[in-house]
Amino acid sequence: MQNILGFPRAVYNFFVGDPILLTGTLAFFILIGALARTGLARAPLALGAILILGILATLGLSLWRETQPHKS
Amino acid sequence: MHLLLALFTPDWGVATAAFLASTVEFVEAFTIVLVVGVTINWRSSFLGAALAALTLAVLVAIFGVTLVKFIPLSALRLIVGIILVMFGMKWMKKALLRYSGRKALHDEEAIYEEEQRALKARGVVIPQKIDGFGVATSFKSVLLEGLEVAFIVVTFGLTGSSHAANKSSSLVSAVIGAVVAGLLVVALGALVRAPLTRIPENTLKFVVGIMLTSFGTFWGGEGLGIDWPRQDLFLLPLIAIYLLASYGAIQWLRVPAKPQAAIPAAQE
Repeated sequence: MQNILGFPRAVYNFFVGDPILLTGTLAFFILIGALARTGLARAPLALGAILILGILATLGLSLWRETQPHKS
Repeated sequence: MHLLLALFTPDWGVATAAFLASTVEFVEAFTIVLVVGVTINWRSSFLGAALAALTLAVLVAIFGVTLVKFIPLSALRLIVGIILVMFGMKWMKKALLRYSGRKALHDEEAIYEEEQRALKARGVVIPQKIDGFGVATSFKSVLLEGLEVAFIVVTFGLTGSSHAANKSSSLVSAVIGAVVAGLLVVALGALVRAPLTRIPENTLKFVVGIMLTSFGTFWGGEGLGIDWPRQDLFLLPLIAIYLLASYGAIQWLRVPAKPQAAIPAAQE
């Protein structure tokens, strides 16, 4: 099992190595992709603002986790 | 010579337009190559750039001017953007934790860097190890921007003239504009390379994080169809937003002056 997971784990550690950064970034890009198919497509600046705020929120959450004494 | 001149009359309008548009793309690619070179090492940075140039050459050789039809630039922008945002935030996070005192400035990595500096100061030549992160970052950025330059050349070259006879002349003019832009950016980059190496390591890594996150947001957004105001110039306010947010984060994270509050690097 460890051998099977070895490669994906190495790729994950190489690219990001932080579950919050990975899920947060992907979640906001997927959200923007979904919103871009709705009426919001006519307001690209609003989509851009949501993307920037999402990225900042992800970074903030990841930094907050670092301040917790018993982070896993 | 007269025959050559008769066959090729430069279209200065197309050449200038291609030069200006390509300069923006070259500056973006070179910024990443430069920061990877200064913060990781030049060997990895140049290897990534060379591999990207080779890939690009193969793509152009295979597809020629039909490149614009076969390469999904939006999908490429999205993938490269997402990866750069993750890379960038990883670096920003580390630098912000160091600035705020949450992570010791003198961790193992910093000690290693200090040793490297000391060796360099004594004139010892340190073999530069190929770094996968550096190669990948440099490769992705140069490939994406190189493709954009190729797209600029093809579209400007083919739409520059309505006469079929002048199309090849327009294409060559667009190529000339792009090549001059590339040479100019590389020459300017070589000039700023030396002063950059004097900037402290953590500051450089912080700057790299900000740049990668900004470029990643910009490209990823473009890939999803976001039409940023003022096009590539929007990178500047984007960088400013991340800088401002980083300043806020440092203030928020700052540890009161108690040495025992710092999280040792080993626990990371």
